[in-house]
Amino acid sequence: MEGMQQIFSDFFSTVGVVDSIRVTLIMSFWSTLIASLLGITLGFALERKQFPGKRAVIRLNRTLMGAPPVVIGLLTYMLLRKKGPLGSLRWVFTIQGMVMAQVLIITPIICGMVYSYAVQKAPAIRAFAKTMGADRKQTGRLLLREMKNELYFAVVSGYGRSISEVGAVFLVGGNIKNNTRTMTTAISTLKGAGDYYEGVFLGVILMLMAFAVQTLADHFRKEETGDENF
Amino acid sequence: MKISRLQKKMGDFFLNIDSMKLEPGKVHGLIGSNGCGKTTLSKLIMGILTPDSGEIDYEGLTPRDITMTSQKPYMLHDTVYQNLIYPLTVRGIRPDEKEAEQWLSRCGLLDKKNQYARSLSSGEQQKLSFIRAMIFHPKLIIVDETLSNLDPDSTELFEKLILEQQEQEPVTWIVISHQLVHIRKICDRVNFLEKGRLLAEGTPEEILMHPSHPSVREFLSKTEIFYQNDGDTQ
Repeated sequence: MEGMQQIFSDFFSTVGVVDSIRVTLIMSFWSTLIASLLGITLGFALERKQFPGKRAVIRLNRTLMGAPPVVIGLLTYMLLRKKGPLGSLRWVFTIQGMVMAQVLIITPIICGMVYSYAVQKAPAIRAFAKTMGADRKQTGRLLLREMKNELYFAVVSGYGRSISEVGAVFLVGGNIKNNTRTMTTAISTLKGAGDYYEGVFLGVILMLMAFAVQTLADHFRKEETGDENF
Repeated sequence: MKISRLQKKMGDFFLNIDSMKLEPGKVHGLIGSNGCGKTTLSKLIMGILTPDSGEIDYEGLTPRDITMTSQKPYMLHDTVYQNLIYPLTVRGIRPDEKEAEQWLSRCGLLDKKNQYARSLSSGEQQKLSFIRAMIFHPKLIIVDETLSNLDPDSTELFEKLILEQQEQEPVTWIVISHQLVHIRKICDRVNFLEKGRLLAEGTPEEILMHPSHPSVREFLSKTEIFYQNDGDTQ
């Protein structure tokens, strides 16, 4: 029994499992929160506003939705490094820097999803609000309320991308043990050391975390019943 | 309400209403073939669309005094009751649950009060949208084909509700419908639109029974009221 405890203790301390869970949770929470606020606002604005070059902006956003995270990570690193334009922030190899990279990766995804949903649903909701006498604020609230499921899926997709990302956080965070090592970069480190089973174990913890967050979100979300009759 | 030189271009379609008047407290029917501009005109009056040019003089009516229902009404992701009281909530009016229940009861929806509104049949949704439009006592109600595809009992109920409303507290109505029998029964005035232009305006008798405009005659000859010189309907 003591032997097993020793094996687990060694494993947890060698790769810094507890800290990697902490870093992962902090990073994914803040990056999802900031990217959601930006992505939802921009997605609705893109649907609502007419301006020259709108099509090009939509195309650019769609391109960014599929941008390789390593490239975003490299760009973020170049911005944040000592001699970079944002070097004074001293965010390179910090969680803040990792959050920034994640926000750059996730925001276009959330924005693109919200835009696509809004194009389909928002005009009917706005027209309905008008017929009901709703003012601007009430219409805004109604849009959020009526599209909560779509927004929820957009945010969850962003969170999923955040929690599973490796390349960008590796480059910007530096995979420093007990400091900027996330669960995914820890798995990568374990694989490099040939500790495959430990890597899989950490992967299972990651999956369980994602499942727990999903369950929690579902619990708070009001489930609708009945057939939709469109 | 007065409409003058109202123009709206939407793709190939061009709405061009030179002059139109809605008398307060009267039921106005709006008839014409599909694509003649009835819904576009309604959306312009409702403020959902913005005109390219021209003017709508609301004569003191505010956007909150006007409402509109459609053939495929929007149902909130909520219960039947919450859908019904939504316009009251918007206006900060505390809903009278008993009154709301009376409305639901009249439409046969009381037992579905707490049901998810989107699970209702399309006819039930139309009924709900109709009473939702009436519950907050607006001054102008636009009914855009809400009465289409309903069973005779429901159509009769709507007619009854409109006529009752006009007896108690008259409001201005714009009723768009292809059911000309229904238009003849409830409307005080009838407007005929063709290709975005208002071609004829008058009483139901004048427009539906003794139309002078050839386009109106042609339209009527294709619908369920057959134009006859003796005024009978079939």
